[in-house]
Amino acid sequence: MNQFLAMENFRKWIPLLVLIGLALFFTAVNPNFLSFRNFARIAISASPALMVAVGVTFVILMGSIDLSMEGTVAVCAVLFALMLNALGGSIAGWGWMAIPGTLFVGAILGAINGLIHVQLKIPSFMASLSLGFVGIGLSLLITGGNRIQIEDPIFRSLLTLRIGGFALMSYAALAALLIAWFIQDNTTIGRNFYAIGGGEDLARSSGLNVGKLRITGFVVAGIFFALGAIFAVARLGIAETETGRNFMFVSVTSVVVGGTALRGGSGGVWNTLVGVLIVNVIGNGMVVIGLPDYFQDGVLGLLVIAAVYLSTDRRSLSFVK
Amino acid sequence: MSFIKNYIEQQTLNRRSLLLLSAYGLCGMTTAATLGSGVARAAAQNPKIAWSYRDRTNPYWNSIVSGGEAFVRSLGKSTSDLINLINEGSSEKSLSDIKSLLSRYGSEVALAADPNDMPNCRPVVEAVSRAGAYVSTIWNKTDDLHPWDFGDNYVSHMTWSDVGPSEQTARLLFDAMGGKGGVVHLGGIASNNPAIERLEGFKNALKAYPNIEFLAVQAADWDTQKANQVMSGFLTRYGDAIKGVHCASDTMAYGVIEALRAEGIEDMPIVSYDGNPQAVELVTKGKILATVFTNPHWAGGITAALAYYAATGFFKPSAEPKEHREFYGPTTLVTTKDAQVFKTKYIDTNPTYDWKDFWSLGKGQIKYRS
Repeated sequence: MNQFLAMENFRKWIPLLVLIGLALFFTAVNPNFLSFRNFARIAISASPALMVAVGVTFVILMGSIDLSMEGTVAVCAVLFALMLNALGGSIAGWGWMAIPGTLFVGAILGAINGLIHVQLKIPSFMASLSLGFVGIGLSLLITGGNRIQIEDPIFRSLLTLRIGGFALMSYAALAALLIAWFIQDNTTIGRNFYAIGGGEDLARSSGLNVGKLRITGFVVAGIFFALGAIFAVARLGIAETETGRNFMFVSVTSVVVGGTALRGGSGGVWNTLVGVLIVNVIGNGMVVIGLPDYFQDGVLGLLVIAAVYLSTDRRSLSFVK
Repeated sequence: MSFIKNYIEQQTLNRRSLLLLSAYGLCGMTTAATLGSGVARAAAQNPKIAWSYRDRTNPYWNSIVSGGEAFVRSLGKSTSDLINLINEGSSEKSLSDIKSLLSRYGSEVALAADPNDMPNCRPVVEAVSRAGAYVSTIWNKTDDLHPWDFGDNYVSHMTWSDVGPSEQTARLLFDAMGGKGGVVHLGGIASNNPAIERLEGFKNALKAYPNIEFLAVQAADWDTQKANQVMSGFLTRYGDAIKGVHCASDTMAYGVIEALRAEGIEDMPIVSYDGNPQAVELVTKGKILATVFTNPHWAGGITAALAYYAATGFFKPSAEPKEHREFYGPTTLVTTKDAQVFKTKYIDTNPTYDWKDFWSLGKGQIKYRS
C-alpha cells in the first residue's frame, strides 16, 4: 500500500519531469535554449494558449469537453478589436471597457454552449464543436474576412513592456492562473467540478444541481477563452478569424499532457500550466535545434503520445475509450 | 449592422441557389446521360457567372472576389449575380459544386476557378467542357493540361511566376543589409508551388552575395501566429547573427515584425510577398522594405471576364494564339520609394479596368520546366 501511494505521488510529478527532461535535451543540442531571453519568448507564446487551456481544464475536470475554443477566441478577438476601436482606440480612454466587454461576450458564448449541452442533452463534444464552427462563421460575418489592427501602444505594452525580462502579458497570464487556482481549490463551484467529474451519480444524489454546475463550468471556460483572445490580439496586434486557429489542438493536448484525465475528476490548472509549457517548449525547441520542418509535426505527435503515456496511470483505468 | 444583413441575404441566396442546383443536378445528370452530349450550341446570351475559390478568411481571396464583383457590375448586373462556390480547401467539394452548377445551367455557365490543387483541374475542365460551358482557371493546373486541347471551352489559364520577383525582393534585402550578415527565410506550406518558387528566387539572389550567410529556412505555413513562433525560435538559435528576414508572404511578415517588436528590435530589414493592403501600409512606413503585388482584384475580374466573353461569343478562344490561353499574371514590386503612390492607385481605390482588355497586363506565355 505504501508503495502504491509512493508510486501515485511520483506519477503526479511526471509531467514536470518530462518538461525538465525536454529542456535539458534541447539545451544539450543547442545551449542557447537555456537562456533567460528564450524563456521569456516561450512565456509570450504560451500566454494565450495557457488561458484557453485553463478554461478547458474546468470543463474537462467535470468529465465533459469543450471544443468551441477556436470559434469563441475568434469572435472574442474580433469583437474586442471592434469595441476598442469604437471606444476611441486606446485602453487609456474609454477603450478599457472593451476588456470587460470581451469577457462578457466569452461568458455569453460559454453559457449558450452549456445550455445547449445540458438543456438539449447533446453530448458536450458535439455541442461545443458545432458552436465552434458557428463562432468561426460569426467572426467571418463580422469581419467580412478582413483583419482588424490594434495600434494602441498602451494595449500593446502587454507585449512590449518588460518587467524583469518577462513581458507584461506573462505576468497577466500568471495572475489569471492564480485566480483559476483559487476558483479550483477554494470555491464551492471549483470543488463541485471535481465531484461531478469523479462520479456524476454520486454528485447528483448528494443534492448537487449538476446541470446548473455544468453550465457554470462552460461560462468559466468562456471567460478564460476571452482572456486568451485578448492576449492573442496583444501578441500580434491583429484580430481576425484566424486568431482562433490551432487553439483546439494546443489547449486539449496541453491539458492531457499535463496529466489532467479526460475522464474528469483529477488534475487541475497547475497540471495545465506544465502541459502548456511542454507543448510550447517542444515547439520552440524544435526550431532552436534546427529540426527540419517536415519532421516537426511528426515529432510533436510522438512526443505528445510519450508524455501522455508517462503521465497517466493506466492501472487505474478499467477501459480506455 | 446593415452590412451583416446584406451579407446574410446574399449568402442565403447563394446557399438557396446551391441547394436548388444540387437538386436539379441529380435530375440533370440523368437527363444528360440519357440524351448524351453533342447537341449543337449557339452562343449563350446571358451566361451565369460563377467564381470557385477557397475561402473568405484570406485578404487574397477577398480581393479576387472584389474583382469578380466589379466585373459583374460592369455588365450592369448586381453583385449578387456572381455565384460564389467556396470549396474550403477541398478538391472534392470544388468539383461537386461545379458539377451541380453545370447540371442546373448546362452550357449557360461562365466559370472562373482556382481548382484548389493541380490534379483537380482536369476533372473540372472536363466536366465544364462536356457540358459545353466555359471555364478560365488560375494557379492550379498540371503541366500536361492545356486550354487549346479543349477547343473553346477551356478558355484560359493564368498563373504567376514568383521566382523573379522573389529574387528582386531578396536583392533589395541584401543591399539593405549592406551585403553582409545572416539571413533567414520563412516559407509557405512546403508543397505549395508559390512557396517553392519564392524560396528558389531567394536562393538565386544569394549566389550574387557571397558575404550573406544563409542561416536557415523554415516553413511557417502562410500563418501569422506560426511565423511569430518560428521567428522567436530563430532569435534564440541565432540571436544577433540575424540581420535580415525574407518572408514568402505578407501574412508571415506580420508575425515576424511582432516577434521582433517583442524583443525591442524595430529596424530589422524585412521583405515579403503578395502586396496585401496592410503590408503596403507597412512598406510606406518602412517597416517592410518591399513586397510584391500580384493584383488579385484584376485577376478576379479578368478571369471571370475571359470565361464570360468566350461564352457570349465576343471572342473565339481557339482563334487566339497560345500566349493568350496560358499566361502569367502581373507582378509589381512595391518598395519604400513608390509605396505611397502605389497605395493611392491600387489600395485606397481599385482602378477601373476595361474588362475586355484581356491580355495587356499579362506577362507572357507560361514556360514549363521539363
